Amino acid sequence: MFLLSVLQGIPEALPLNPIARWEWVFPVVESIHICGFTLLVGTVVILDLRLLGVFLRSQPVSRLARELAPWIWAGIVIQLTTGPYLFSADPHEYVQIAAFRNKMLFLLAALIFHFTVIRKATAPAEASMPLGWRKPAACVSLGLWLCVLLAGLWIGNL
Amino acid sequence: MSLLSFCEWLGQTSWSRVLREAPYPFPVLIIIHIVTIALFGGIVVLSNLRVLGLAMRSVPVSQVIGQFRPWKWTAFGILLVSGTLLAMSDPLEYYGNIMFWISLALLAIAGVNAMIFRFGVYRSVAAWDDARETPPGARRWAGVSLILWITLVFVGRAIAFF
Repeated sequence: MFLLSVLQGIPEALPLNPIARWEWVFPVVESIHICGFTLLVGTVVILDLRLLGVFLRSQPVSRLARELAPWIWAGIVIQLTTGPYLFSADPHEYVQIAAFRNKMLFLLAALIFHFTVIRKATAPAEASMPLGWRKPAACVSLGLWLCVLLAGLWIGNL
Repeated sequence: MSLLSFCEWLGQTSWSRVLREAPYPFPVLIIIHIVTIALFGGIVVLSNLRVLGLAMRSVPVSQVIGQFRPWKWTAFGILLVSGTLLAMSDPLEYYGNIMFWISLALLAIAGVNAMIFRFGVYRSVAAWDDARETPPGARRWAGVSLILWITLVFVGRAIAFF
């Protein structure tokens, strides 16, 4: 497996890795990871809550989705940079933690759901899904992102 | 009674002991606290980005702030209660933690900053509600607010590190 051989190569490189050398690097990168999570999930949640009709009801969903999209991308970029870097601190340990593997699965599911179902639900009227499907879709999205957060918390054993 | 002796007394109450010793309350409170931080943070960040003119430009500023307000205050209330209970679990530990005090100070500054916006430049929001460029005073407020909240995340994380 390619992934496994990459993981096996990391320990030799670890002494050079700042996150393994100085103990303050991890919490600092983790703080950036928390800020990125807030940006990414905060933006997604606002879009989901709009789909549920709890606020900004006078705003067309498709326009709101278009205006929020760059911030969702910014969040994804921050998370996919800081996340793997945190992982590099102790890859062998992380792959053995069930919560970590669950988090990756939830993350994958949440991202796929966002870029398929939620994208469809927030598309302009003619391309969108039936209105009745919007609320269930928003609930699934909220649930998936909550699972990502909970599994993430579990990695650190709280 | 000094703050230290108050913390000593608080640490010996049965509430504090349950929070510290029972297996479930502490992790459950942390989960509630952090899930709510994600909601509160998201609302604060998006509100600030709107005032900066960087997000949701087609939505009037007053609508973003007004419609988010009940959610923001509900989240803040949950954070206040869960945060107080978390601190109560081990008052002496937090009393001696410099990062805990810095985070409280930052929280107070962020609150004052929000009030300055609310009762200052925001009073004239009708004049710039739909403007493509929000006034420099409002942007400055939102920039300071973002920096304060981001710093608070770093300091908050550091509480566990010190």
